Amino acid sequence: MTSSPLTRRTFLKATLAGGAIAGAPRPLRAQPKPFRIAAVHPVTGPLAEPGQACRLGAQLAVEAVNAGGGIKSKGGMPLELLLGDTQSKPENGRIEAERLVNQGAQMLLGSFDSGSTAAMVSVAQQKRVPFLIDIAAADPITANVARSVKEGQQKVQYVYRNFPTGSTFGRKAVQYFTEIFAEAKVTPKRVALMHCNDLFGVNQSRGFLAAYKAAKPPWTLLEDDVIPWPEPPSDLSTEVARLKALKPDVISPITRPASALLLLPEIRKQRIESLGIVGPGSPGLYEAGQIAALKEDLEYVMASNPWPNFRSPKTQRLAEDYQKRSGGRLFDTNSGYSYDAVFVIADVLERAAKLDDPDAIVEAIQKTSYTAGLMQYGGPVHFNEIGDNPNAIPTMIQILKAKPVAVWPKDAALQKFVFPRPKA
Amino acid sequence: MRRVAIAAAVALLAMLPLVPSVFGSYAVTLFTLIFFYGFLGQAWNIVGGYAGQLSAGHAAFLGIGAYTAALLSVERGVTPWLGMCRIIVSNTEALGGAVGYYITFTGDPRQFQFQDARAYYYVALVMMLAVTGIVAWLERRRFGVYLSAIREDESACEALGVNTFRYKMLAMMLSSFLTGIGGAFYAFYLFSLQPASVFGIPLSVEIIIRAIVGGAGTVLGPILGSFILSPLAELARYYFAQGGWHGAHLVVYGLLLIAVVLFLPEGAYPRLARLFRR
Repeated sequence: MTSSPLTRRTFLKATLAGGAIAGAPRPLRAQPKPFRIAAVHPVTGPLAEPGQACRLGAQLAVEAVNAGGGIKSKGGMPLELLLGDTQSKPENGRIEAERLVNQGAQMLLGSFDSGSTAAMVSVAQQKRVPFLIDIAAADPITANVARSVKEGQQKVQYVYRNFPTGSTFGRKAVQYFTEIFAEAKVTPKRVALMHCNDLFGVNQSRGFLAAYKAAKPPWTLLEDDVIPWPEPPSDLSTEVARLKALKPDVISPITRPASALLLLPEIRKQRIESLGIVGPGSPGLYEAGQIAALKEDLEYVMASNPWPNFRSPKTQRLAEDYQKRSGGRLFDTNSGYSYDAVFVIADVLERAAKLDDPDAIVEAIQKTSYTAGLMQYGGPVHFNEIGDNPNAIPTMIQILKAKPVAVWPKDAALQKFVFPRPKA
Repeated sequence: MRRVAIAAAVALLAMLPLVPSVFGSYAVTLFTLIFFYGFLGQAWNIVGGYAGQLSAGHAAFLGIGAYTAALLSVERGVTPWLGMCRIIVSNTEALGGAVGYYITFTGDPRQFQFQDARAYYYVALVMMLAVTGIVAWLERRRFGVYLSAIREDESACEALGVNTFRYKMLAMMLSSFLTGIGGAFYAFYLFSLQPASVFGIPLSVEIIIRAIVGGAGTVLGPILGSFILSPLAELARYYFAQGGWHGAHLVVYGLLLIAVVLFLPEGAYPRLARLFRR
């Protein structure tokens, strides 16, 4: 039997080699490729402010998903946002969607205004890219696609929406008006509707009027005396004089921020006595800048708007974070729905059988039942046969002590509403 | 030199139909819009460039064409291929009024809808080439000469016995008719019509600026203008819109536009033409 002598030199060599092997890093686990989402919003142009809120909401959500370990069922796959800007022009919705899909986006998210969202729909359907609408209210956007699938012109619906539709806004506003009046034990006989005469204002007022006609509530809307104004207005004294002549019990305005700044002081100046101001849903009646400018004129004003569920500690934490990241802005409808949309996508990706097959993603979208949203919903996020989430609903908010507070429905309320408005 | 330029232009033109098979869908979209705005600029060129009548409201014709074709297709089932040769409809309620009009995407070519976006590319290319052909033909006819004469000195032209009103009206009719055809394309390319967009001043400016930058009153000016401006807008957005610099791309686009107007005040095409004539 022969044995090789263990010299000091061979011992050193063996020890060093062994140490090198033991100390060598383990082969790096292959990092899954990120899942790319095209986030298209109007971050420049007239709609820049809400568009930037949407973008930041989506960015914060992607950061949160990735910080939480990405899509766990897909090996911790991270999400990546590819950013697009419509410049508030409808045709750019299509161009940006095409560009980002070409850069590898596997899903579309967007896009705030109904015009550019509709332009993105054709890209989604043509290229088979699932599209989750975070904000856009026009009913036909999803309904048209659902119809063409039903009639066999398209095979699969790739377009889904997690936002209240125009008709939901109207229906819910009439419902909340009825419930709040009943709770306050009043039956107004003269509810006066006023609205800005732009695309949004006309759409909202029509939805409200149609819902009122369908619901036939005990209170009375002055249907034949609706008061429109051109947006942006330079003066609303004539419109408010017309309002005064109607002797309204309740004033129901659909405003934009610019017109709200003129309307509410004018109502005070012309000393119109009413039970209160309750809007069917519009911007201009709850934002921090508006509250600072309108002060007392905005106190006790109510409006039915999609709103974050601030009763949830998760929402409160995120709202604080959002405020820091946005330079002091309020976490609201726009940032909130875009934030939730990214989490709905993450939930869909967790459940999708395959990610390289758009139809598998659509299958997972159709089976969604997501309950961890930060916005106020009427139930889990899910998608009906049209592709809309019927549980995406507005909340009645009221300005109380210079802060917007959810007051209705009861299960969403942080405080009881104050109605009729106390006399000064 | 001139022959080389013509040969190069013909070679470029011959290559255009090959773009969809070589480049991705984004390039196809970009080229589709270049052709589309080139078409609109060329239609405006007839009245604005040749006849010298500044029309700052051409978007209205596009809007009428778009709404009419969409309405005829959606409500009456009339194919937009016919709807392009439109009739004027003024029932605003049926048109969706101020709330916009949404077209169902079906992908049916009979309804001017295509599952494959490359089809829009070829339609837009044919539209641009056809209108350029019409303008080139008109330029050499009596009609074209009359329009140029009206632009240079309307009183002198009238003194020579030309019925200037008649020819200005004819130019306007032809230009608005062609712009209306563009409207039908717009409607079925974007699938939604918003009054503020299709009747708005910004769209009119987009149309006019193609001809101004490229060279108004020349056959190839609006086309060249479209080939300059659309990629500029896209490049500016592509490189400057990704970070947190919201709107930086618009500033860059604006600066580029100022540079073009400063250094090529009569338009790019006349300068290029002079270059090749040397």
